Amino acid sequence: MLHSDIKSRPTYRALEPDLAAAGHLLVIEAATLQPGGLAGLADAFAPVVANLHTWLVGEALAAPGLGKPWHLPAVADVVDALACATRGYGIGDRLYVQGTEPFLWSVATAAAIVGFGPGQLQLCHAGSLQRRVWCTHCHGVTEQVTTNVVPCAGCGRHLLVRDHFSRRLGAFMGVMVDAEAPGEIPAIEEVFA
Amino acid sequence: MIGDTLLLQVAAVTDIAPGLRHLRLVAADGGKLPPAAAGAHVQFVLEGAARTWRNAYSLVSRPGARDAWEIIVRRVPASRGGSAFIHEQLEVGDRLLAGWPGNLFAPVRIARHHLMIAGGIGITPFLSYLAEFGFTGAGHALHVCCRESEKDVFAPWLGSSPAVAFHWDADGHRLDIPALLASQPAGTHLYVCGPAAMNDEVMAAAAVAGWPASHVHCEHFGSALFGGEAFRAFLVRSGIELEVAEDESLLDAIERAGVAAPCLCRGGACGVCVTPLLEGEAEHRDHFLSADERAAGRLIMPCVSRARAGRLVLDL
Repeated sequence: MLHSDIKSRPTYRALEPDLAAAGHLLVIEAATLQPGGLAGLADAFAPVVANLHTWLVGEALAAPGLGKPWHLPAVADVVDALACATRGYGIGDRLYVQGTEPFLWSVATAAAIVGFGPGQLQLCHAGSLQRRVWCTHCHGVTEQVTTNVVPCAGCGRHLLVRDHFSRRLGAFMGVMVDAEAPGEIPAIEEVFA
Repeated sequence: MIGDTLLLQVAAVTDIAPGLRHLRLVAADGGKLPPAAAGAHVQFVLEGAARTWRNAYSLVSRPGARDAWEIIVRRVPASRGGSAFIHEQLEVGDRLLAGWPGNLFAPVRIARHHLMIAGGIGITPFLSYLAEFGFTGAGHALHVCCRESEKDVFAPWLGSSPAVAFHWDADGHRLDIPALLASQPAGTHLYVCGPAAMNDEVMAAAAVAGWPASHVHCEHFGSALFGGEAFRAFLVRSGIELEVAEDESLLDAIERAGVAAPCLCRGGACGVCVTPLLEGEAEHRDHFLSADERAAGRLIMPCVSRARAGRLVLDL
């Protein structure tokens, strides 16, 4: 489910430090880490560790080799920290984010607001395939969606979760599944576990 | 040339400094000109007695202006002759053909800050940028590297803006490019327009400072691109054999032979004139073809590139 014929569906790759960059900020959703995941990141970022800041979100894990990590309770705190940074980020800095798609895009959209361009950003998917879904009818957002059809948290319509993705909203589009034949809801399956 | 041509008339000629001439051009029929955005250039057809030049110049008039276009032309001693024609021959009331405006160097609208570095007459595209930023309020800074004697020439366009700094070749006045590029906030876009050596230095310094390529923009100009050894070319589809003189480009020679070749910037940047090369080895001087395309040797941009040796055969 990380690949689709729909062109807007983002693709992801393993994080790799840009050696030309001035500063490196690594933001990790701790709950998505596999055993040995932090060690792998430490190996990858060893060449730039002198200019590396690591933010671990969620569990306060030890992160040897990743600079002095900063622990934040939730992704909302990452968004606030970026928005309120007393130190401005530079055009030579790079941001690397690893986690579920709602996490990646929450951080990416907050970073874009403080000036990070697409060329300064790397995203790596890890963990659950759960999606944030945006209702094209009421514009409400439904979080942590793991099924092909989901009741909208805003208006209650049953939404078919599409692969169409909005980078601005950081969400997949959801369209009313029984608009043509009211009440005909297909079998609900867990496809984004 | 893309689109129709326009007939212009010289409305005013002003020498703003030795070797720098300002032209104000209006539509010959008294009508309105097409609007052009910041960073746009126009290609002018300069009809000399012995030959015709087609030179592109940046518009320095206010973006969107339709009553007149303005350009500033530096007289280049060792050039193909177009700038000398403008300085010596062109007079108020003269008419000349021009293309529609093109723009390969527009400011990036989503930038949070615009950092401009100009070398000499490379300041011209930034004069229209400043007019736009003055209107939109976008954050910006312009660093001009020029002769000390020319730092006041552009005052009518610059006013007393604190966002403009001049630098020249004397202790305490040189621009520290690496230091400047190392201290720019995220969301900044960098624009450089100057002699090739300065452009290269700025681009290299930006790469060292970690600037993503998407945020670095360069416009090349300069007579150094033109001229070289004379050579021969053959246009297969037209069946025409050409002699390209030392002081003209391959594109000039193609046009002189009456073959309509598409082109836009005439400076090796836009890629509109790219032509299949069937035989011969090109000396690539453009900024458009990739390293792989150059190595393959199957394409040439006749506006700037020449023959390395022997005869070129073009699918034209």
